[in-house]
Amino acid sequence: MGELHVADSGPTDEALLAGMAVGDHAAAVTFVRRYQRRVFGLAYSMTSDSGVAEEVAQEAMIRVWRHAPVFDARRGSVTSWVLTITRNLTIDALRMRRAVPTDPDDFAASAMMSMEHNPEDAILRGDVRQVVRVALSGLPPEQRRAVVLAAVYGRTALEVSEEEGIPLGTAKTRIRSGLIRLRAAVEDVRAVEEER
Amino acid sequence: MSDDQPVHACDEFSDELAELALGILTGRRRAATLAHVESCPRCTEELEQLVRAADAVVQVAPEMEPPMGFEVRLFGRMGVAEAPKRRRVAPRWMLATAAAVVALGFGLGIGLTMGTAPSHHPAVSIARPPGGKLVAVADLRENGKRVGRVFTYGGTTPWMFMTLDDSSAKGHVTCEVVTTAGATDRVGAFTAKSGYGAWGAPLPVAPQDVRTAEVVSSGGTVIATATLT
Repeated sequence: MGELHVADSGPTDEALLAGMAVGDHAAAVTFVRRYQRRVFGLAYSMTSDSGVAEEVAQEAMIRVWRHAPVFDARRGSVTSWVLTITRNLTIDALRMRRAVPTDPDDFAASAMMSMEHNPEDAILRGDVRQVVRVALSGLPPEQRRAVVLAAVYGRTALEVSEEEGIPLGTAKTRIRSGLIRLRAAVEDVRAVEEER
Repeated sequence: MSDDQPVHACDEFSDELAELALGILTGRRRAATLAHVESCPRCTEELEQLVRAADAVVQVAPEMEPPMGFEVRLFGRMGVAEAPKRRRVAPRWMLATAAAVVALGFGLGIGLTMGTAPSHHPAVSIARPPGGKLVAVADLRENGKRVGRVFTYGGTTPWMFMTLDDSSAKGHVTCEVVTTAGATDRVGAFTAKSGYGAWGAPLPVAPQDVRTAEVVSSGGTVIATATLT
């Protein structure tokens, strides 16, 4: 089942950032309303703490507002930029509070809860998020944990090996194998998009 | 791989490429891998693909409605003036579903409650229903107290939708249905946030055959039950 998508007619993300870069308040309001659920959702999924998630989400939006002029579309999408800011701020918040992050299994479970059961449809729609959810659900649990620990929580291979109680080489292999399988899913979507 | 790069040079960096893409590679290995990538078109392309995959992992988190007042506080901090008020309304499909419930004569007071959880319990993003006709709706009860509602839908892809409000369910829980023939089928698992949640999933059985739907804890205890037939 697909996650609810509210149709966003109107300016592109890049256009909104361009507006924010010159202090356009209307652009900022539209941008915040377009992204606040994703930003808060990511922070909450990582912390399981609504208060921390709100602090992080607010700080992330403020940084986007302040740094809109330096966004470089050649280096990645707006979505990727915003969520990376959010992820990094969440990691910092967890570290500063010495808080226990959401278990990687719980993070993955909450993502897969919104999973679509027809990945072919998601590929045809170019819905990377859904395709990766499906791909993530298909990973062996130990690879999924390793990938989430590295990609979401920023754990190094050494930290993954220590936290999981596995040899460093095994941690590296799990991270690499899992990411390669996700890459295949993402590239399937890109291949369809390029054919259009 | 470029013409002047032997195959084993790429092999040497295969693990590191993934870690570099994830931003978790440090020190000399990072420097060495970057140096190799700069001279190797094949690894450059592979790195770009792995970066896209790594970015996508962060994007899989579900959307969640921030607590009430989030916008007001945020716009205040941003110094964004005259933010137009936005009514928090249920998504169109939920309104349509609620209308359908009423239209089908299931009674007054039946509706969906997305976004009405207290501010410290963020509403979980709701999966989009594939459509289909409402077959049954029932209260989900825990020790006699109503703690949510269950909706079952027919059509080409039978599915179920469930809301949890102020239940004792926390963390991982599973939803199971018991059929009129007595068989138990697992519908799916989800995470209840301090007793709250809302989710949907395809039904593994015909909705007409569902006698009860149950929320079961990770320890196997039935937390709440809805009787649909």
